[in-house]
Amino acid sequence: MSWSFDSPLRTLSDEEKVRKDEVLWENDNLGGVHEDNNPVPAPVVWLVGLTVVTAFAITFPLWGQRPTAALYEPYVNSMDKPEVLAAKDDKEAMARIVAMNKGTPNDALLERHPLTMDDLRIVAPQIKALESKGAHMHDFEVVGDKVVTANFEGNYRADGSRIRQQPWWDKGYTIDLFYLSYFFLSVFIMIKRLPPTSWQPKHDH
Amino acid sequence: MFKYLFAKSEDIPQGAAAVYFGFSAIVWFVIGTGLGAFNASKLAFPDFVTGLEFVSFGHMRQVHVHAVIFGWISMAFAMAMMYMTPALGNTKLWSEKLGIWNAFLWNVGLSLGLTLLWSGMTSGREYSDFPWFIDLYIATFMTIPLGINVWMTIIHRKTQGIYTTNWFFGTAVFMVSIVFIVGNLPEFFHLTGLTEAYLTWWFAHNVLGLWITPVAAAIAYYTIPKVSGNPLYSHRIGHLHFWSVVVFYSTPAAHHLMSAPLPEWLKSFASVEGVLILVPAVAFVSNILLTMQGKWNMFVENLEIRFTVTGCLMAIPLNMQGGFQQTRAINWYIHGTGWIVAHAHLALLGFSTFLEAAAVYLGLQTLLKRKLYSLTLGNLHFWFLLIGFTTYWVSMTIAGLIQGAGKIYEVPYIDVVMAEHPYMIARWIGGSLVFTGNCFWLYNMWMTARAGTVIPEGRMAHELAYER
Repeated sequence: MSWSFDSPLRTLSDEEKVRKDEVLWENDNLGGVHEDNNPVPAPVVWLVGLTVVTAFAITFPLWGQRPTAALYEPYVNSMDKPEVLAAKDDKEAMARIVAMNKGTPNDALLERHPLTMDDLRIVAPQIKALESKGAHMHDFEVVGDKVVTANFEGNYRADGSRIRQQPWWDKGYTIDLFYLSYFFLSVFIMIKRLPPTSWQPKHDH
Repeated sequence: MFKYLFAKSEDIPQGAAAVYFGFSAIVWFVIGTGLGAFNASKLAFPDFVTGLEFVSFGHMRQVHVHAVIFGWISMAFAMAMMYMTPALGNTKLWSEKLGIWNAFLWNVGLSLGLTLLWSGMTSGREYSDFPWFIDLYIATFMTIPLGINVWMTIIHRKTQGIYTTNWFFGTAVFMVSIVFIVGNLPEFFHLTGLTEAYLTWWFAHNVLGLWITPVAAAIAYYTIPKVSGNPLYSHRIGHLHFWSVVVFYSTPAAHHLMSAPLPEWLKSFASVEGVLILVPAVAFVSNILLTMQGKWNMFVENLEIRFTVTGCLMAIPLNMQGGFQQTRAINWYIHGTGWIVAHAHLALLGFSTFLEAAAVYLGLQTLLKRKLYSLTLGNLHFWFLLIGFTTYWVSMTIAGLIQGAGKIYEVPYIDVVMAEHPYMIARWIGGSLVFTGNCFWLYNMWMTARAGTVIPEGRMAHELAYER
């Protein structure tokens, strides 16, 4: 276990250990199967890096979330407006509600979670009941025909209620960061303890 | 083979246990895919064989899944371990007798377990459907004895180093035993609710991630260099592959339960680790394909290489699906649909089966010292398997997308069933092709043992020309 930190990207072993490993590598006959000492190719390193970045980016809970009561609150409040009530049928009424609530930061989410007038009629009384209680509307999700408390337990607010909104970052990601760091550091040390890639074993004996 | 159960150790020829495991694996493959084709026919033609409880889909599905996983796949793995582990250590298998008993008890336990499933006795936990006493049997008489033989063979090797394949073998048999004991705790101690759900999927995920995936890859690490004559491209990529399987594959169980009331941070953690299964996949595929440099003609000419490289290429869509389908963004759409069934078959019938089939072809020819009886039947087996599997996978993927759309847009269930019907027929055709190909294979290997051209000492099967 003799280390050398003179050139850590080349090898972390000293000359004696490198020489010993080279002799072993060339003379150990593993049932007629051999291994080369090629580096991890640059495209593979890039792909691994890309995978790590993608793993975080695509799993953030910004994606694939259920709609909250807050999302449909403006729709519910638009149901009683004269131009909606004057619509000739439900389809037109819904189209008018959607049109009059366009131009908010929720446009994309509303597009992903469309409703019919029948859906809206079912959830409207539940959303109004929450409004009348002064509830935090982001803490409630619309699941089918029910408006329920969101399945997330955050910190307590000053008023004693609990935040039920999923942050874009949680401790699961923090654990991932540590976990990944340990992994890549360990693998880096492990492969850099091998003889440098400038040396290749001869398998002709 | 039965005569060796009570024979003296020195009277048992080397490789006997591997041959026993190898032929058992093929027979279970025929049975398992036959059951699969039968089940598929019930989905394609709902009036086919009705009124008999024990052949109802609910009973037969579990028998099919367990026959394939613990019969075909796991016995092919055991076969590969019984001949590759000693070969890579320049030594003999530690105990042929233990291997013979292991294979015998494996067949007995599996037959008993499948009979119980058939009769309707089940734990009701997907992938660990066997009742608790069969789970204990599997750990005690199947995986642990296999592990002892592998570990002792590695300890008694005559080489100083341990080749990559044996890292995977030695570790996987340890991990699968732990997975069996811990993953089935809900059955041993009647754990219920979320704990049961989580451990069920911890078990199911890790039977795939810490047993099937690494052992299948380990086989390719042997088959490609051994048959092609090329050295493995990179020992370093082997390290990256091995450790990323152990580290990343062991953790994402919660990503099977993205809609369950598990802590959200656990899902976030598991989901990131779930995408990171692409790391071992990238390492594995690149190492195998780079090892093939200068020998790509063998992809066409050599059956074992063709099976292995095809299986290796299937690792690309497999891990792209596996990595991303579990994320919140995609899981809400495809969860609980035929997409998952297609993905599971890509893992078991695509990726891993092609790698194991190569190991069984290579191993049986090497151990029996007989060249494959018929290359034509071998080629037919390959194409029936490939076309049958692809038909199955594509049709079920499409069916899954239809189901996903039906689920999200709340289309009436019966309309979704009707829309899926053509794909269920395609699924049945694909499964039947796989079953037919496997019947050819069983016949071919049986004839290889009886009438294959004898391979002279020191030569490999593919080096000899066919005499017929």
